[in-house]
Amino acid sequence: MVKITYIEASGAEHVIDVMPGLSIMEGAVKNNVPGILADCGGACACGTCRVFVDEAWRERTGKPSDMEEAMLELHDDPSPGQRLSCQIRAVENLNGLVVRMPKSQF
Amino acid sequence: MQSVTDLTLPYMPFDEPDFAVDPMPYLEAARRQHPWLAKCAVGYFVHEYHAIRDLYLMDDKFRNSADAITAHMGAKGTPWGRFMEEMMIAKSGPEHARLRGSVAAAFTPRSINRLRSLMREVVSNLLDEWVPRGAFDFAAFASNFPITVMFGFMGASTDALQSIRKSLETQGLSYSMDPSLLPALEEAYQVLWDFVDKLVIERQKRGGRNEGELLDEMIAANAAGRLSDVEMRELLIFLFAAAYDTSKNMTTLIMHMMLKHPEMWTRCGEDRAFCSKVVEEILRHTSTSNVPRTVSSEVIYRDVLFPKDVMLILPLSISGRDPNAFPDAMKFQPERVHVNHHIAFGRGMHMCLGQHLARAQIEEGIHLMAQRIVKPKLAGKVTWRRFPGTWGVSSLPITFEPGARLSRDGDGGAAA
Repeated sequence: MVKITYIEASGAEHVIDVMPGLSIMEGAVKNNVPGILADCGGACACGTCRVFVDEAWRERTGKPSDMEEAMLELHDDPSPGQRLSCQIRAVENLNGLVVRMPKSQF
Repeated sequence: MQSVTDLTLPYMPFDEPDFAVDPMPYLEAARRQHPWLAKCAVGYFVHEYHAIRDLYLMDDKFRNSADAITAHMGAKGTPWGRFMEEMMIAKSGPEHARLRGSVAAAFTPRSINRLRSLMREVVSNLLDEWVPRGAFDFAAFASNFPITVMFGFMGASTDALQSIRKSLETQGLSYSMDPSLLPALEEAYQVLWDFVDKLVIERQKRGGRNEGELLDEMIAANAAGRLSDVEMRELLIFLFAAAYDTSKNMTTLIMHMMLKHPEMWTRCGEDRAFCSKVVEEILRHTSTSNVPRTVSSEVIYRDVLFPKDVMLILPLSISGRDPNAFPDAMKFQPERVHVNHHIAFGRGMHMCLGQHLARAQIEEGIHLMAQRIVKPKLAGKVTWRRFPGTWGVSSLPITFEPGARLSRDGDGGAAA
């Protein structure tokens, strides 16, 4: 299992063991972590599973694809580390990953 | 656990003309008898926000109801019937992902933002033409707007628009489940096929590729083997029909609401950011889409078993009227603080491909319309489209004070 820490905008933390291969979004939704809506179910089409990857993990999570970047333009938010959590897979080297959720997905 | 067939449920007559005019008495009566479910002419009707929201995301349990609709319509094996069963929203899994993936990049917020100047130009030109009349059917006016933007997005001339308008209108009735419409739907499909076929052939002859023009992107996908000739044409018919009907209905629904809130309409002309709030609130309060779903493998939801092949109407268009999800649900409040968010664009793999286009063009559109269509007043009878197809206002006669164009792209300033 891959341990992921999801931190809500309020500061509430949820430490979840996510099955390897699932996306970070699926790890949240399957465990009822609030703050990630994922309306499109993971198709990189809605922009409602946005998270901010903690600085220490950005190199390992990699950069967003062109499609993901084009979707992120939905949110006029220059904050660093912004990603769609449906586009990050829970893999072994992300064990301990910390992501923060925005106050709103809209 | 109980089978849905054993439940005592209210009946939801969504196919009654009165329902399309005002579903609320029917919704309220149904809620008193069961918190989330009713029977209806084609199966079951889910009327609670959270249930619709949950069920819409179960892509592994439901399929698009195209096969049931074509059976209901007596269209098995006809050209229109085949189109309905083969088009993108009727597919699932890798087939659906391939079709959607062939055009998805063109519909991202980044791509759509590049079209904003086109949207402003289209609506300003339409306003130049229509506003001096001082009175018109707003639904007829609005019917020119999103489809002209789509022609521009395709890089296509609007010369053919008038010849396909009636067919686009008819195609919008595809989900109305009225078998008497079948001859008209077949005829409309043929007109639209001929139109897109000619469009593709002419563009292929011209050659070259304009980056960002949707038709060129689709032709490139076809050349690369990602889209077959038929799929490309059917996808084009789908995109033109969707572009014609949905945003035009949403824009008309906004005007219908603004006639009751003139101060909001004035503010729309002055405050571009407020237009976004108005759009989100109308999407919550009253929207257009109601795509049915059919159970593909037995589903148990809230301890109710739905057998295979049962059809469910999931009325996205009125899902935001649930008072348990939205306090004062029938009150139109653009400044509303959302605990829940509307689901007008659906959820799951079939979530509306054009949602970012729809939002952008309606926002740009109403900002400029509110500057030029000043103090609008209702000037005749409001009529409504059928439910559950692409629902909305079909006729909205208004009078107003003509406002002058403020700048080339219409940005800024108040109505004159």
